[in-house]
Amino acid sequence: MGNVLLARMGEITLKGLNRGSFEIQLKSNLKYRLKKFGHLKIYQSQSRIWIEPKEEDNPNFQSMEAARDIMKAVCQVFGIVSVSLARKFEGDFESIKENTVECIKELLAQNPDYVTFKVESKRGNKTFPLTSPEICDELGGYILDTFPQLKVKVKNPDFILNVEIRENNYIYSGKMMAHRGLPVGSCAKGMLLLSGGIDSPVAGFMMASRGMPLDAVYFHSYPYTSDLAKQKVVDLAKIVSGYSGRMTLHVVNFTQIQLDLYKNSPQDMLTVTMRRVMLKIAERLAEKNDCKCLITGESLGQVASQTMEAIAATNEVVKMPILRPLIGLDKQATCDISRKIGAFETSILPYEDCCTVFVAKHPKTHPHPEDIIEAEKNIDIDEMVEAGVAGTEDIEINPF
Amino acid sequence: MIYFDNSATTFVSEAVRTKILELTADTVSANPGSLHKLGTKAAEVYESIRRETASLLGAKSEEIFFTSCATESANTAIKGYMSRNKRAGNAVISTRTEHKATLECLEYLSGLGYEIRYVKVGSDGKPVIESLEEELRKGGVALACFTLVNNETGSILPFDAIVKTIKALSPSTVIYIDCVQALGKLPISLNSMGADMCSFSGHKIHSVKGNGVLYVKKGIRIDPLILGGGQQDGMRSGTQSPVLAGAFLAALKEVSEGIDEARAKAAEINCYLRKELAARDAVILSPDDALPYVLNVSFKGFESETMLHCLEIYDIYVSTVSACSSKAKKVSYVLLESGVDRKVAANAVRLSFSRYNTMEEAVEFIKRVDEIYEQFLVK
Repeated sequence: MGNVLLARMGEITLKGLNRGSFEIQLKSNLKYRLKKFGHLKIYQSQSRIWIEPKEEDNPNFQSMEAARDIMKAVCQVFGIVSVSLARKFEGDFESIKENTVECIKELLAQNPDYVTFKVESKRGNKTFPLTSPEICDELGGYILDTFPQLKVKVKNPDFILNVEIRENNYIYSGKMMAHRGLPVGSCAKGMLLLSGGIDSPVAGFMMASRGMPLDAVYFHSYPYTSDLAKQKVVDLAKIVSGYSGRMTLHVVNFTQIQLDLYKNSPQDMLTVTMRRVMLKIAERLAEKNDCKCLITGESLGQVASQTMEAIAATNEVVKMPILRPLIGLDKQATCDISRKIGAFETSILPYEDCCTVFVAKHPKTHPHPEDIIEAEKNIDIDEMVEAGVAGTEDIEINPF
Repeated sequence: MIYFDNSATTFVSEAVRTKILELTADTVSANPGSLHKLGTKAAEVYESIRRETASLLGAKSEEIFFTSCATESANTAIKGYMSRNKRAGNAVISTRTEHKATLECLEYLSGLGYEIRYVKVGSDGKPVIESLEEELRKGGVALACFTLVNNETGSILPFDAIVKTIKALSPSTVIYIDCVQALGKLPISLNSMGADMCSFSGHKIHSVKGNGVLYVKKGIRIDPLILGGGQQDGMRSGTQSPVLAGAFLAALKEVSEGIDEARAKAAEINCYLRKELAARDAVILSPDDALPYVLNVSFKGFESETMLHCLEIYDIYVSTVSACSSKAKKVSYVLLESGVDRKVAANAVRLSFSRYNTMEEAVEFIKRVDEIYEQFLVK
């Protein structure tokens, strides 16, 4: 009957009466994320989600190797814990034996050094004549007879052969781990402040993992930063959208605002005033686009603008909650996540913060409220925010 | 549009376009190695292109080899000579201001155990003759590699003095010259020049990308870089392309005419820009006697890449070696080696002209620079 994907759900299964809505969202997200892999039937049975090709000759299901891309895509969908490629077939124990042999042959062809194994079985269909332990015993013995080089090992075998007896029979070995979390769309949208760095894409990933759809805002200062820097942000947004789904990237033309800030506020306060303006613009864009919060990649103490005083100084200009999922992570932990989600190589391309003229040599790391009042006395922030919002270019981003 | 980035590449000339179309006709599109009459025809066309190219460069036909680019020519010359002539000596002399095509080959040779000796360069970018003498006197120099016109500053190699010094102190040393930026701008006559191997690039003289030339003087033996069917006397295997060779020749013909007039025009533009830019506190980094086609200038208050993007707004295109990067500031090694201060080098922009640039463009350029200072200078 061919191969199917078996995806396991995690946290959703702990939900109570509202569990159904999470499951519907998850299936809808899978459908969107997998649309380039052909016509698929995505359905749920018990705590599993099954993904089957509608056409038998769908190339993405033909082998472990061929299924790698679709499995990776499944793993990018939050709410999924892991996915396996399983053989689905009908019949009695004889057919289980036949499919087992084929499954192990394919596995050994790819992993010739595998020696030890064990069989695990689940029997949902209680009319099947053998019990779960009997299936394990019988099938284990049959495998040992057929593949004399293999040995049984119960703890840490090279591979586990899983057999599930439901309305149909399923055999699979191994699973690809996904990112868990909750399906995107199961909570309100957030506005991610996306720079070209390592942190902000990770922050977006983390909030999306809690079910939050995203829009993103990027502040572009051409010609002080090149269009390559902007392209890099577009590329990063695309990587994040692989997890969060489609988003709009709002590119704010920030050049004139930055020049005005530079002229009219003291050097050592430039970073703080600039960030205050950025947050206000981000909040306005968030309101316009139905976002309920702002998301930043700030991590306490990482740079001058991320001390507690500086965070307090920027925090106070907006009413919306600002979520900072990385606030307690150190840089290494953030880099690890960045690598895991495939953003790191793009993040470290050298186009960001091109121009150093706007960076104060000795920024104030512990700004007092009176410093801020003094710094902004010659600036019409509302006017800047208006101009920033008006001069925004929207770019639609999707993962394909 | 003002295109002042001709040392990076040039626009394809009309004559080259026409020639390419002509040479893609069915009648000349056969493999020059084929034995049938179509092949023979293609081979004839190819050989006549080779002859004419050689003649324009002042060389013999059998000394000219068509390659894919000047980098391939440099690789073939440098690696090929050292590979073939193991007993010629263990040392190679060069400078640290060469193009990467040379420097990376030398680095490769160094990895094989060859000794690479770098001659000092002066603030004018030219190799210091005393330093060259010193390195030559140490003996064992198989190969000397220099650039006729530096691609970043336009500094011209004191070629005669260099050749004289080498011939006097180490007559067996073979001389390789990167002529890429000099072609069509300085008169070149290979056989009377005193160089043993030279590299050229088509796309710097208004041909398309994908064609270069290697000159190897008769009697110099080198190992080929690319092995295969033994085309081009075994020096460069791979089916010959009459189209690309013809494109090179068409471009060469054009730039070989009126070299002096074109240079005078470039000098006028260069002089004007030097004067106007100096009056705006820019630091001119090209030496006074540099080839006028290249003008390296450091703009006060603008990092290289920022100035490049500012000019781009006005549809003006220039180059910068110094690239912005938040992690590591990359600054031109050529300028640093010539003793330019790091901060000045970080603001360096290269303007490079072709014979088709005009004074009007130069005037417009200065006008735009003033506007950029007005609008984008961060004080």
